[in-house]
Amino acid sequence: MSTQEHKKKPVPPSWSTRFLEWFIKDDYFEDVQGDLEEEFQLKAGGDTLVKAKSWYNWQIMRLFRPAMMKKIEPQDSIEKETTMFKNYLKIGIRNLWKYKSSTVINVIGLSTGLAAFVLIALFVKDEYSYDKHFKDVESIHRVTVKNYTRSGDLSRHWAFASAGHAERLKEDYSDIQYAARFYPWAFPDLTYGDKKFPGEQVIFAGDDVFNIFSFPFIIGDKENAFKDLFSLVLTESTAVKIFGNDWREQEILGSQIKLSRSGQEAPFKITGVIADMPDQQHFHFDYLAPVRFLENVFDEGTMENVGGNYNWLTYIKLSPNTSLPALTNDVNEEFWDKYIGKFDTGEEARNFYDFEFQPVLDIHLNSNLEGEFERNGSEQLVFIFGAIGILLLLVACVNYMNIATSHYSRRMKEVGVRKVIGAFKTALVKQFLTESTLITIISIPMCLLMVWFALPYLNEFIEKNMTFNPIAQLDLLGLLLLLLIAVGMIAGLYPALFLSKVNLVQALKGEQVINHKKWNFRSLLVTFQYAVTIALIFTIGVMESQMAFIRNSDPGYERAHVLRLNLPRDANRETFKNELLSHPDVLTASYSSRIPTGRLMDSWGSRFFKGDSAVASNFRLPVVSVDHDFLETFEIDLLAGENFRNNMLTVLDFDTIVASQYIINEAASRAFGFDDPGQIIGERIRYGVTEGRIIGVMEDFHFESLHREIAPMLIIYQDNYRGISLKLNPVNLPATLEHIAGVFTTFDSENAADMQFVDDLFDRQYLKEEKVSAMIKVFAVIAILIGCLGLIGMVGFIIETKLKEIGVRKVLGASAQSIWVLISNRFLVLVGIAFLITLPIVYYLMDAWLNDFVYRTNISFFIILLPVILAIALTMLAISLQTFRATRVNPVECLKDE
Amino acid sequence: MREYQLGEFEEIVLLTVAILHGDAYGVSIKQEIETRLKRSVSVSALQTALRRLEKKDYLKSSFGEATAIRGGKRKRYFKVTKVGKAALDYSKETRMNLWSAIPNVTYEYARA
Repeated sequence: MSTQEHKKKPVPPSWSTRFLEWFIKDDYFEDVQGDLEEEFQLKAGGDTLVKAKSWYNWQIMRLFRPAMMKKIEPQDSIEKETTMFKNYLKIGIRNLWKYKSSTVINVIGLSTGLAAFVLIALFVKDEYSYDKHFKDVESIHRVTVKNYTRSGDLSRHWAFASAGHAERLKEDYSDIQYAARFYPWAFPDLTYGDKKFPGEQVIFAGDDVFNIFSFPFIIGDKENAFKDLFSLVLTESTAVKIFGNDWREQEILGSQIKLSRSGQEAPFKITGVIADMPDQQHFHFDYLAPVRFLENVFDEGTMENVGGNYNWLTYIKLSPNTSLPALTNDVNEEFWDKYIGKFDTGEEARNFYDFEFQPVLDIHLNSNLEGEFERNGSEQLVFIFGAIGILLLLVACVNYMNIATSHYSRRMKEVGVRKVIGAFKTALVKQFLTESTLITIISIPMCLLMVWFALPYLNEFIEKNMTFNPIAQLDLLGLLLLLLIAVGMIAGLYPALFLSKVNLVQALKGEQVINHKKWNFRSLLVTFQYAVTIALIFTIGVMESQMAFIRNSDPGYERAHVLRLNLPRDANRETFKNELLSHPDVLTASYSSRIPTGRLMDSWGSRFFKGDSAVASNFRLPVVSVDHDFLETFEIDLLAGENFRNNMLTVLDFDTIVASQYIINEAASRAFGFDDPGQIIGERIRYGVTEGRIIGVMEDFHFESLHREIAPMLIIYQDNYRGISLKLNPVNLPATLEHIAGVFTTFDSENAADMQFVDDLFDRQYLKEEKVSAMIKVFAVIAILIGCLGLIGMVGFIIETKLKEIGVRKVLGASAQSIWVLISNRFLVLVGIAFLITLPIVYYLMDAWLNDFVYRTNISFFIILLPVILAIALTMLAISLQTFRATRVNPVECLKDE
Repeated sequence: MREYQLGEFEEIVLLTVAILHGDAYGVSIKQEIETRLKRSVSVSALQTALRRLEKKDYLKSSFGEATAIRGGKRKRYFKVTKVGKAALDYSKETRMNLWSAIPNVTYEYARA
């Protein structure tokens, strides 16, 4: 051998060799690779190394042919797998049967978690399906107008536009293909033959309505629906209501229906029937009539208005490929200059208005403007529930992991024997995954039962109409299958890995050595469960305390035993009121347009006189029409000035400015620049079509809900009444109510008395929060229950592993308490860690939630501590139950093994 | 004895193994063919032929010694079996029969 060879021996490419080893028949590898290597060395000596290497690679590539390859025996391996799978299944079923109590706990935990997840998934799916059914829905937008104050702050943003907007926008912009305004004309009576339907909501809509929204026609068609001025399009269920179930057999097209309101009558003809509007739509109409009809009812000024009178729901449909931001920008640049220009004050109108075109798909979840047609959802809420759903599912999985690993000692010998016989780790993993999937499969029917059972209640509670039928709804079926696999895998993976890595010798010796390390993955799982529990309890705590804060806060007016009653049609105000007051338990009565707990929706323009010159005020000053008993009925105090006297009734005359008197609230007084309410008494203002002096200032009170700050408001003694409020003596209430209903019927035999206690109306303002809080409570209780199941399993496991230690301690004279402390210490540390991790996050989130309220409570120390106290209490309970058993064990029993 | 199937390359390999008597393993067979026939042989082709011959029982193999140059891998030595010998004989015989059956006319024809 030369020295040169000695120095460095060339090496053939190792990856090639590995490749050869991988594919070539085991029997061939040694000599073939030896031959290749030998020749490679010969070549490397002569040729260059690179050449030798490429020769080597090339030869191996060419060896990659069927004759050289290992035999693939698919038949064989499938057969082996299925045989093994049968065995896993059999052992799995036997184990589930043998340890019935843990099977039951697991199935309860998993199926509850799954059911909660499925219910939440249904809710989320429903919330996201709004308005998707319309054709070209991406191009449909709602026109809204933002109003700004002089200083440029947003003063109001309603879901409505003015009557004159739709037509002008469509005319001026070619990108706006269709535009239609909608006017819900307040509740006329409908008459068909001798059938009468009082107080129906008829929506008057622009002719483009059927081009914007693809309402499917059952009879009639969109071209002819609004041809005639007196057209009326019904929905299917309205057709059933008017014509009966066999309406399809009748020739209802062209049938006459009379609309009447306040003595006026108009004959309408049925021109079409459209399918009922699906629940997942942000508005629902029963009757549609052409808006042209209203042109005869309203004056031209109203119909052409472009700068106010926001009562007209307006929708536009854009041409394909229109850029919404560009269009919005163009419109805002031009529209206001063109149609309004400058106000009387010389200010440019464009600084006070902005159009916003809302995509219809965003309305349900993301629009929460004043005057939304129906109550919308909230994407924030959808996220919250989505997060809770996923957390619940995880908690259920974690629960399974805890219980499965807790009982590892039961399976230790089995695992050991399998390993001795030659099971690979993968085989053991497969076996444990089979078991977890098996549990999940058993849980699915339970979950379905729970969902079917709970869905009607949930539907009633959140006022939805969700259905659950996985056979018909393929996406649900897919979800269930996905859940089955995902939960089986997630829940089973950790126990599988944990159990399969057991040391063979120790397993067979019966030693329990796995949990040597104190802080392992299992601690993490328990901490996670604690964290979820703490977060949910904290959330409930904050929500409840805010609810209590609102319930107990004084809104500034009397709401106990105050009843609101609708007005009989055409009754004399004076006689009706006196008739009601004739009952001794009706203490006071007051007419008003709105009552506290309602919304301050009506407002006129106000001007404040300084000397002879009037300055328009730059804040919104809404009005409520009342009578002289209003302040007394709601027990609102006057800070200065005096109440209306019963001869002060203002009668509006739209042709001239009429004299009037006003009472304003303290906030309005301050807004006018008078910090001392006494000073503003006697000042002159013009309000809408009235003018007069401020005669009183009342104490601020929460006319609207506590979501809003107390805003300036004004009351006027003027008959625009929509209801009467009665303060009752709570004694013998049923008899009093009967009297009231009786009086109502004598005045109006057609309509029913609608009586509502202001107390209830007050609570209803916070219904949304109440419902969310209640739902979170239910899910939190589920999470906590599942967590408790896991905890009990976990404590059982620890005691099992520490049985010998406990035995030794008992022999040496330890008391039951000291053993109890031994076990609980560890959990307390985990509770502490979970608390420290979770609290900052939920505190931040809940503080943001509270900030949505103008009047909010503070998160008290007690609420911060409550979840920890509860978590510790639950843990202690679980530990005590198990420890009691453990400490009673006879040391002989657990020490005799060795 | 019609069953002595032998391809052209297989015959060469079989003959070479016979020539190398006692020293026939992958590398030596390959080199022998390459020097004698002046053609290059790929490991793949050679191995395929060898294994096929072994499967037909014309060859039998056994592991020999390992050397350093082979990275410690043993050689596989091939030997011609009785059946292999018979196959070679049969092949030679049939060819000889064919040769002797060629009439002289054929050559004349070819010459013309």
